[in-house]
This record gives sequence, C-alpha cells and structure tokens, in this order.
Amino acid sequence: MYHALLTNRYLTSRVIPLIAVAAVALCVALVIIVVSVMTGFLNMVRDSGRTLMGDVVIGYPVTGIPHYERLIERIEELPEAEAATPVVDSWGLLKMPYPDGANKDTETVQMWGIDPESFARVTGYADTLYWRPPTEQQLKTMADDDPRRQMDEQILLDGLALRDSRSDRAGIVPGIHVSIGNDRQSDGSIRPARNGYWWMPQWEVTLTTLPIATGGGMLEPESRIFPVVNEFFSGVFLIDDKRAMVPLEIAQRMLHLDQGEIVDEEQLDDDGLPKVIGVDPAKATMVLIRAAEGVNPDELREQLVGVYDAFRAELLQDNNALVKPPPQGMGLSIKTWEQQQADFIEPIEKERELMRTLFSLVYLVCAGLVLAIFWAIVYEKTRDIGILRSIGASRFGISWIFLRYGLVIGIAGALVGVGLAYLVVRNINTIHTAMGDPPMWLAIIMLTLALVAIALTVYHGRRGALMPITLGLLVSITLIGAGAVILVLKDRGGVVIWDPSVYYFTTIPNEMDSGTAIFTMIGAVIFSLIGAFLPAAKAADTDPVRALHYE
Amino acid sequence: MHKTYRLGRVDVPVLKGATLHVKPGEWVAILGPSGSGKSTLLHLLGDLDQPDADGGEVRFDGRSLASMSRRARNLYRNRSVGFVFQFYHLLPELNVLENTFLPALVGLHRWEYYRRIGQLRQQSTRLLESFGLGHRLKHRPRELSGGERQRVAIARALMNNPKVLLADEPTGNLDEATGAEILDLIAQQHRDGLTIVMVTHDPAIAKLADRVVHLHDGRIAE
Repeated sequence: MYHALLTNRYLTSRVIPLIAVAAVALCVALVIIVVSVMTGFLNMVRDSGRTLMGDVVIGYPVTGIPHYERLIERIEELPEAEAATPVVDSWGLLKMPYPDGANKDTETVQMWGIDPESFARVTGYADTLYWRPPTEQQLKTMADDDPRRQMDEQILLDGLALRDSRSDRAGIVPGIHVSIGNDRQSDGSIRPARNGYWWMPQWEVTLTTLPIATGGGMLEPESRIFPVVNEFFSGVFLIDDKRAMVPLEIAQRMLHLDQGEIVDEEQLDDDGLPKVIGVDPAKATMVLIRAAEGVNPDELREQLVGVYDAFRAELLQDNNALVKPPPQGMGLSIKTWEQQQADFIEPIEKERELMRTLFSLVYLVCAGLVLAIFWAIVYEKTRDIGILRSIGASRFGISWIFLRYGLVIGIAGALVGVGLAYLVVRNINTIHTAMGDPPMWLAIIMLTLALVAIALTVYHGRRGALMPITLGLLVSITLIGAGAVILVLKDRGGVVIWDPSVYYFTTIPNEMDSGTAIFTMIGAVIFSLIGAFLPAAKAADTDPVRALHYE
Repeated sequence: MHKTYRLGRVDVPVLKGATLHVKPGEWVAILGPSGSGKSTLLHLLGDLDQPDADGGEVRFDGRSLASMSRRARNLYRNRSVGFVFQFYHLLPELNVLENTFLPALVGLHRWEYYRRIGQLRQQSTRLLESFGLGHRLKHRPRELSGGERQRVAIARALMNNPKVLLADEPTGNLDEATGAEILDLIAQQHRDGLTIVMVTHDPAIAKLADRVVHLHDGRIAE
C-alpha cells in the first residue's frame, strides 16, 4: 500500500504531473471534438435525408414512372410504409426579381414538383418553412427587428399549400439560400437585404424548364411566372441553395409528364384527326416513401422491391394500360436515402475514419509525454528507489509505483479531457460565433491582464532572476497578442470560420459522440500506461547500492 | 566473501575473502580506512548487493540468503534487518511519521492495510516520541536538523523490530555532540537486545561496540 502513498505524494508535490495531465486532457479533447463534429455532421446528413426525402426513393428520372398513383396505393397498403408521395424533379432556371432595372439575375435550381399534402406526410416539409409566426418560445430569444415577428398564419398556410391566397395562383417555395437577398445573421436567423425590400414572398419569379421528349430529344422550353409564397430552410446548404418547390401538376405540365392522349396517326377519326387510341398517364420521376415507426429503411426497401414487381406485372397484363412501367434495374432504382446519397455519405464516413486514425496518433503524443516525464522523474527519484529497496520493497513494487502514476495521469487526463470536449462541443456554435466576432470586453480584459502581467514582471524581475522575467514576458506577449487579434477582428467586422457553402450545414453539430469519447478515454489511459512502462522497468532494474549513492 | 566491482574495463576487487561471524545480541564495529570495503560488506550483509559468483555467501540464522527466493529476500530486508545510512536517506515527499512507518507499509498486504494502518501509526508515533520527535510528526525531512533526521532514520530502521541493525557511519554527517546523542540511542537499542553491525572509520566510536573488527585490504582482522 505504500504505492498509493508515494504515487499520491509524487503527483501532488510537483508541477510536472499536472502538465502531463493537461497534455493528456488536451489530446483526448482534441480527438473527441474532431470526431464528434464529424459524427454529428454525418448524423445531420442522415437526419436531413429523412427530412428531405423520406426513407426510400423509387426513382426513374426524366421520363418518369407511369401509373404512379396505383403504385402509391399498393405501397400504402404495406404495414411497413407510413406514407408515399410522388415527385417530379428536373433542373430549371429561375429568373429572380433582383437587381433593380431590366436585367435580372438567373439562378439554376432543382425544381421539385410536389403534392404538398402527401409530401408533408412523408418528409419534414412543414417544419422547414421559414416564414411563419413565431412560437412563444422563439419570441423570447428573437431579435426585436426580426421580420418573422410581423408574420401571420396565412403565409405558413400558403407555403403548405403552394398557393398564393391573395391572387389564388399556384406558388413557388424556393430554398432560403436560392435568393442572394437573404442574409444569414450571426444568431442563425435570416434578414432579407435592403431592410426587407428583397423579402422574396412579396415578389414573383419566372421558372423555365426544358422538357425532354420520350425519345430523348429536347422540346421547347416552358416558362411560368410564380408568386413566391414562402421559403424553406432545411439546414442543408446544398439543398437550401438549389431547390425550389412547385405544385406537382404544374411541374408535370411544364415537363410534359402530365396526362395525355395516345393517337394512331395512321388512323383518322370522324373529324379527320389522328385517332385517339388510349391515355398516356401522368408520370412522377420519384416516389418518396416514409417507413412506419420502428421499421428499418432497408427492410422497407426489400418489401418495396416486391411491391414494384407486382405493380408492374399487374400493368403488363392490363390491356387498357398502353404505357407500361419500366423494369427494375433499367434506370429505375429503389434505394434507401443512404444508398441514394452514397456518393455523398461514403466519402464523409471515410473522411471521419481517416480523421479518427490521424488524430489517434495523438495517443502516441500521450505515451511520449508520459514517457519523457516519467523518465525524468525516475532519474530524480533514483535515490528513493534505493531507499525503498533497502527497506524491502520488491522490484515489482517499485515498478508499480510508476505504472500506477501513469494510470492516474491517464485517468485524470482522460476525465478532464472528456469534460473539456463536452464543454467545447456543446458550445461550439457560441464559440464559433465568438471567434468570428469576439466581444470587445474580452479584448479589454486581455489587454488589462497584459498590463498587470507586465507590472508583475517588472516587480518580480527587479532582482535580475531570469525565470520570472521570461515567464512574465511570455504571458504578457500572449495576452497582448490575443487582445490585438480581437481588435483586428472587430475592425474587420468579424470573420466567418464555418462557411455554410463549404460545410453544407448552417450550424456546427454540437452532440458529443459518446462511443468515441469512451474509446478515446480508454486509449489515453492505455497509452499513458505504455508510456510509463519503460521508466517503470528502468526503476525496477535500478541497482539499490548505486541508487543510494546517486547524487 | 569476495566482491569485485567493474569500473569501465578494469576489475576492482573490494572484498578479498572477508569473513565475519556476528552472534545474536552482539554489537560489532567494522573499522577501516575510507575505501577499504566497509560499506560494501554492510551492503552484502543487508542483501542490497550480492557477493561474486563463488565468492562466498551471507548466512542469516543459519540460512544462506542466496538460497532464498526473491520474495523471502525482500522480507529479509524488510523484517530481519534495518539500515541506518550516513546521509539519513529519508524520502523528502513524506513527513516524519510516514517515513517512519514506511517499512511497515512495504511489508503490509493490501487487505491488511485498512485493519492495521491505525495501529501502525500509533506504533510509529510512540517510537518517535521515545526518540524525542513527538513534536515533529508532520514535518518534512527538510525542516529537521541533521540529528533529528538521523533519529527518524533509526526509528524507521526499528519500525519492523528487526533482529539486526546495519549502521553505515551513522554519525559521519553530524557534529560531535549530536553524534554522541545518536550513539547513545544506538547503545540503548543494543542494551535492549538488538544485534548491531556498525561501520565506522573512527576508532573512538568503534570502542563503544562489544567487538571491533578491522577491514584492511579487503580482509577482516580481529
């Protein structure tokens, strides 16, 4: 039991072990923060997938899936499926109302024709509409000049119905970042530019699409003017920057995917026109499906493969249906959101693992630090080792003192590190905002502390000792440097460190990855022990007679 | 016993067939000039070092130390002998009380610790009080005088009630008056029945012992 007494005393009677604990803590915090943010980022991608696309997507681009209503009926009969909705998607050009003058900006957008009612059941569309009256909770934290304070319920209803109630026309709901007039504030809210002048829901936009013929050729472009009825804010920059929602039937019409007639040009009817021989049904390029509560998307996907085959077989035998659904595999895909976005998600997963591996190298730093510090301590304690041997301590007992020492440093460092990581991760958005636009009082405190440090340096250094002068200068320079950086940042109006156009999301994930935290803590403890092994073995091998004469 | 040290590439024989027999309860002083091998002999007796291969053996109560297991030899150093060094060799991070009961802690099993720690504290406190150090229990070694430090070192050596006290120039670092106090303390232990082997280069100090042996050129002469 003398190990506990000595470890305790060696730990508390000097500064070096505290430095070792701080170093291990920083290493642990670094790994946990980096991997937590990456994991949070991946989770946001996955969650946003469900918000934006449901769980499984049946897709057949360009020409679309005919008789999709029947397919949706069959899907909704499945107990594994909660709801399904048709979507028509295509690229289009959106002529914006800005700038002033005749020449207006044009944005490339991904047009999504949706049935708002069923779309809201499959995705989190209703929650993403940005312009709406604030809740009681939001009112408490919302800035006084936030335009949402003036909103009424009608704008939300218009967004949900994709209809402008004032003019009773079909409306468009673009992503919040489609318009460059929407400025994101440091608190995450949106302010339309020029004091609300470019608030999109008071303007109209012109959407132009290029329909494609069944044979693959390009048809005449279709244009249509839409009043903007609301804007959506999903949090995924990539989507908020590009997508615009319009009513399904209008999108179908613009892309020539609406219901039509099939004529036989060889035969003429009574009026001398080509004879109508059947109906070309309306088509959807995607059917989005939401899984029932507790159902795994992969499980649902398996079921949907069977449902689609049955649906196709049914129509192949239906002589009245002249247009048949495409077979699976020939451009028609049934994929979960994750499979659909594999090209996007997989590289992020690989990057996360790469980061985890690279940052895990800091474990070696832990081991190296502990090794260096313990090596020095063993040298310093050589005589103690001789004394302990002379009173009967075993070689193992001597080595256990140092191993135990390493263990305590590893555990203390890991605990402090995980606490530090938790604080940083939970407050990462606040820290980010503060770093980009630090408060003035912080600069004043830094510079005041610098003055105090300089005064203390002069006072303690008057006898010419180098240590207080060096330490004082280091602290003063660091404080002055930090204060100066803040002043420069203030002068420039702050900087955006986390640029949403690069990182896809408008906020930084702030959930700590508990699995990583546990593994990192275990890793830090193990590597601290590894670092302590060599000095411990050296201590055990120390010749007691030489140790007693060690000066 | 024979003991040779290797200094670089040169073998330096220190003990060249030294033979010593110490009876229970006897106080033996080993007298010899500096470098004669006195401390080496004491280290061999205390199992801090071992004789050369085929260089003899140390027997304690008729049993050869070389034939003992490592554990038994650790126990021998812990329970059977107590060391007192010229430079005290107290642990600077521990206070007087902790330094004193450290040998008892070393010999204590984990499961005995909580049961016996109170008793050990009392025992070491009593010992220190009998040495006139009752007011110094919580002090660190650096806060003590040389004489006080050596008294703590003797208390530590006696903590586990050893059969033999091995003292290496115990007054070598003290002034005459303080040295005399320490020798009184050692003599008192001898009167209480403790076997003592003391190394010194001072014939006046050696005279206090029951028997003086001279170590000269690595050999013992009575």
